[in-house]
Formats: sequence, C-alpha cells, structure tokens
Amino acid sequence: MSTPKPEKELHLPLSRVKTIMKSSPEVDAVGPEPLYLVTKVTELFVIDLAKRAFKNSSNNVLEYKHIADVVQEDDSLDFLREIIPRKITVKQFKEMMARKAAKANSDDSTEESSSEESSDESEESQEE
Amino acid sequence: MAEKLEDLNLPLTVVGRIVKEVLPEGVSISKEARTGLAKAASVFVLYVTSAATNTVKHHKRKALTGQDVLEAMADIEFERFVEPLREALEQYKLAVSAKKSAGKKKEDDDVEMVEEEG
Repeated sequence: MSTPKPEKELHLPLSRVKTIMKSSPEVDAVGPEPLYLVTKVTELFVIDLAKRAFKNSSNNVLEYKHIADVVQEDDSLDFLREIIPRKITVKQFKEMMARKAAKANSDDSTEESSSEESSDESEESQEE
Repeated sequence: MAEKLEDLNLPLTVVGRIVKEVLPEGVSISKEARTGLAKAASVFVLYVTSAATNTVKHHKRKALTGQDVLEAMADIEFERFVEPLREALEQYKLAVSAKKSAGKKKEDDDVEMVEEEG
C-alpha cells in the first residue's frame, strides 16, 4: 500500500558503508540521509565503472584490465589510480627498468639512482 | 569503528550482483575484476565522504546532510550523478515524511526540498 522504503532498493549494506564513512577522521556521526545518498551514489558509480569497463571487453568476460584501462584514462578517476593500477608482466617490468637504467646512464652516468628506484616500484607490479 | 580490516571493504558478492544486473546477460566477471570493482567502490565511499565533509566545512556547519553529498558531486567532477541522486534524495525525503506523518500527525518543515545552487 505505501511506497517501498528507499533503503530497500539499495543493494549495498548501509552498515558497511557507514563503517567506511566513519573511518574518515573528519566524520563522527553519519545521519540516515547522507548515508542513504552515499550508498546510492556508490552503486551508481560501480555500475557506471563496470559498464564503461565492459566496453573494453571484446568477448563476454569483464576482466581486471578493462577496469584498469578506464581508471587510467579518465582524469576524474584519478583517486583510483593507485588502487587499480595497470598490471604488467615481470618481463615488461624488466624491460621498463632496463630502459630506465639505459636512459639514466646516458643522461648522467655518475648517478646510480635507477637501481634503488626499482625496489619500491616492484611492489606495485604484479605478474598477470 | 571498524574492528577488522575487512570491515572497510564492500562485500564482493553484493558488488558482483549489482554489476551482473546491469551488464548484458551471459557476461561473466573475472574474480580479479570483481575484487577491483569492490575496492574501487570502497575507496569511492571515502572519496565522496571526504568531498562532502569539505562542503560541510565550507558552509561552516557540523552535521553532514544529503545536500552536502549532492553538492560534493560537482566538486569531484561527478556531475553526471547529480540528477539521479537528486531524485533519490527527493524520494527518500518523501518516504521519510510519509513515515513521519503516518506515525504522528505533525508537519515537518525541515523535510521540504531545499533547492540550493552552488
């Protein structure tokens, strides 16, 4: 008889969204209205991202790289770039490092920073 | 407060279900893609929260409102979500006021739509 409760139309658990919101140091209380809207917009966001990522798929499988491509190409998704990096293979990584080293050597042969740099970047690259 | 680290992630199964509903039938989502989308959604929650708290600060208020969330969308370049979100907020307020007037016959002025421009 009455209109369905708006919360019922949401899929994501409000309690979890609330926990995440409250993990922000600037937030101490989250009222039901902002909680509802943040949950709602997160669903819109995930749908939007998935749809766009799927356009990069040539078969009927949505894969990680399709999402990473959208994230790396859209500036408004800058906040996700470190969370959803493009994955490269170990081989690609080694080639990249070799190029970097070669470049550093030709630019400035006295500096040997390239080998140190590679150690912290290696954490980000994973084998596919 | 979050007790476990998993509490700061949105559930994979739910995220998977939402996505599956909107993609053409027969499309499968790889495990990694699902994890990626769930992570992205979790980070998005924080991103929006932080943008909305900035709006609150800007208005020199303390409590976060639905309107702040709406306004924050433009700040983080997600204008495309403003319209659907505005509709959702309207519906939400209607539902809340319907519930209130059903419970006690009392007019609540604060549930009226507040049209604000940035």
